[in-house]
Amino acid sequence: MSEHAESDRPHRPLRRRNIVDGSRGHFGPTMTPMVDVVLVILIFFMASTTIAGREWFLRASLPEPHENMPREEGSRFVLPAPMIRVEVFTRNGAVLVNGLQDRELLIHEAVSVIGGLDDSASEGIVLLIVGADDIAFAEIMRLHDAASAISMRVAIE
Amino acid sequence: MRSVISGGAHGGRVNVTPMIDVVMVLIIFYLLVGQLAIDRRTEIKAPITATGIVETQERDPITLGVHRDGSLTLNGEGIGLARLGGELTGRILRDPTLAVRVRADRGAPFGEVRPVLRAVREAGIDQVELVTEQGP
Repeated sequence: MSEHAESDRPHRPLRRRNIVDGSRGHFGPTMTPMVDVVLVILIFFMASTTIAGREWFLRASLPEPHENMPREEGSRFVLPAPMIRVEVFTRNGAVLVNGLQDRELLIHEAVSVIGGLDDSASEGIVLLIVGADDIAFAEIMRLHDAASAISMRVAIE
Repeated sequence: MRSVISGGAHGGRVNVTPMIDVVMVLIIFYLLVGQLAIDRRTEIKAPITATGIVETQERDPITLGVHRDGSLTLNGEGIGLARLGGELTGRILRDPTLAVRVRADRGAPFGEVRPVLRAVREAGIDQVELVTEQGP
């Protein structure tokens, strides 16, 4: 193919390149689209990793209200036995937990007690957390976290 | 000066490939940002836990947000507690396999979270996913 004939050929940017292009000084594949696609994939995975790395979740059961119990009653929920029912409340600015031992525990003591339970002993046991209205949600989740660490199921009332 | 459109020796054609590439990047970028904005719009600071489940579901769960001041969002849109039960029931009836995820602020009083959990339970859902931040 002569130089004259080459210059007269109309330029078609979207035309698939073939081996003939090598003789026109454009040997090899076009890199630009590949770079674009790689960039998109890179951004996508960077964003996905950031999202997945920040947050996760803990599962909690929601007990079924007992039909025969009025709403005002304390133990009006049905849960598969056995369960440990703990109440979380505040007194004089301290967050206390009742129901784990024969005395009220500070929240960090309760977390230690739960963490000290044997995994096999806690298997199948449900920790029912009953929180007072003024308790910060984070305190509830501290107990949930401790229970989840030993594979104990958690229900929240 | 020869314009791009006039083409001249190139026959008046415009190379649209780079433009398509750039548009595609922009679309993906805004899709991601938009999805993030739904979750982050409310600036809820989730509790920090050392345990948790990292799971990517093929379908988005129903996300309930509970702010520190007690205001609620359903998938990023504000909603009142009175309407929440009906909305949840309707969505669950349409798709009983939908998961419900609760993003409650770590400082929100539990008295503001409990009604949400009850509304979820009364909608027929016996388990929720409580969002937390990954801690040490």
